[in-house]
Amino acid sequence: MKNQHDFFQGIMKVQVEGPLIEPFLQACTKRGCQITNMRRLDASLVILTIRLKDWKIFRQLRKKYRCKISIKGGKGLPFIIQHMIGRLSVLLAFIAAVVIIFVLANTLWSIKVDGLSPELEADVESKLNSYGVSPGKLTIGMKDPIEIQQQLLEDIPDLLWIGVKKQGTSYHLYGVEKTRYDTEMNTRPSNLVAAKKGMIIETFIKKGRPMVSVYDVVQKGQILATGQLVEEEDLFIHSEGEVIAETWYRVAQSLPMEQVLSLTDGSVESEYLLKIGKFALPIWGFWRGEEGDFREESHSSNWSIFGFHIPVNMKTIDYYSIDRKAYESSRKDIEEIGVSSARSNLQQELDPDAEIKDEKVLHLSEENGKVKLILMYKVYENIAVTKYVSQGD
Amino acid sequence: MSKWQQQLRTWISRYFDLPSDVMLDLPRITTIGSIHVYIENHTGLLHFSDEEVRIQYKKGQVRILGKDLGVKMMLKEELLLEGELKSVEFLPE
Repeated sequence: MKNQHDFFQGIMKVQVEGPLIEPFLQACTKRGCQITNMRRLDASLVILTIRLKDWKIFRQLRKKYRCKISIKGGKGLPFIIQHMIGRLSVLLAFIAAVVIIFVLANTLWSIKVDGLSPELEADVESKLNSYGVSPGKLTIGMKDPIEIQQQLLEDIPDLLWIGVKKQGTSYHLYGVEKTRYDTEMNTRPSNLVAAKKGMIIETFIKKGRPMVSVYDVVQKGQILATGQLVEEEDLFIHSEGEVIAETWYRVAQSLPMEQVLSLTDGSVESEYLLKIGKFALPIWGFWRGEEGDFREESHSSNWSIFGFHIPVNMKTIDYYSIDRKAYESSRKDIEEIGVSSARSNLQQELDPDAEIKDEKVLHLSEENGKVKLILMYKVYENIAVTKYVSQGD
Repeated sequence: MSKWQQQLRTWISRYFDLPSDVMLDLPRITTIGSIHVYIENHTGLLHFSDEEVRIQYKKGQVRILGKDLGVKMMLKEELLLEGELKSVEFLPE
């Protein structure tokens, strides 16, 4: 009878050999044994199944009845456990594998910080390190991302906000930096002086006493506003403000009448070289001779393996054949080119806020194939600069 | 004495309508067709082989003949045989 009970207790197949089998079995059953599936194989040989706990009684009685008993096999949980213990190494390896996988899956592998300046990023990383959050540490027992977020915001005042997200085995941090305005007041006494000669168009003095008025022509270094609020008194303040003035610029240019242009006609030949260190091995296209006009463009590939640059790379040289053409420009074209280039040059030199109001060609002459151009520009710009006053104590 | 006791037992079992195997220490043999034999209240297995099984009871022996006989289960006073059953013989002493 095979049932659950037998499975947990364990049953075993036993071979009994001897002349007094029946009396032996009778004696066993009298003492409470349960014999099942008995088959006679020979006159003095019987195979039967007994429960594991009956094995003791069998062994006690076998001497008396001169029987030889031997185990042919066992079934049930006790035998499975015994078998497992026999394969202890396999079991240990299995447990070790499970533990290793568990540990590796719960290890923090990387921390990525986005959206912060390098200094602040380093600060965040060192703070994380002090909380015990660094690559290679176990995430078990680590603080929650929300807790880390709060602590970071508390500890680093420069952070406006930081998002901490756990993604598998890595932490992703996204930070927003506080924009700091310099609220510190500059209190050193100062004047506003003119940076260059000009005619005042507009004044806007935030602090200080204006010394000039609109349409005044000021020279370089002239005081526009002073920090001395009341005349003949020792009270000086920091003066601030903007003074827009009309300034003048003279631009002289000489441009050639004839221009030579190099034009690519579209035909290109390429040469390929394999570079190993400093040595270059030609592969293809090395047979082309050096004839005619051409423009060379070379670029080499940048191969890398796992982030390491390898010294082997492919260099490609493209030869574009070119055609030189000379263009004779008219005086009017030259003038246009000169004016526009002078304007853009000036604009680059000036403050971004400055505005070119007017331009005028003062002089235009042609000599020796060149055009000489003198231009006059009228610009509105801020000419006020701060000049500190040294107060003799 | 023994004969008188036997007669009393038979009388009691008849009078009180008790099962005779309990009262008289006789084996109860149940067969299911000719494939299973269930013997209760026996006192010992005397011999067992493929063709013949002999069982002791209080007042004699039971011989079961058949083919491919095997003991499916054996307890202290119970025996379940299986195989191809041919005959059950009683051999009183």
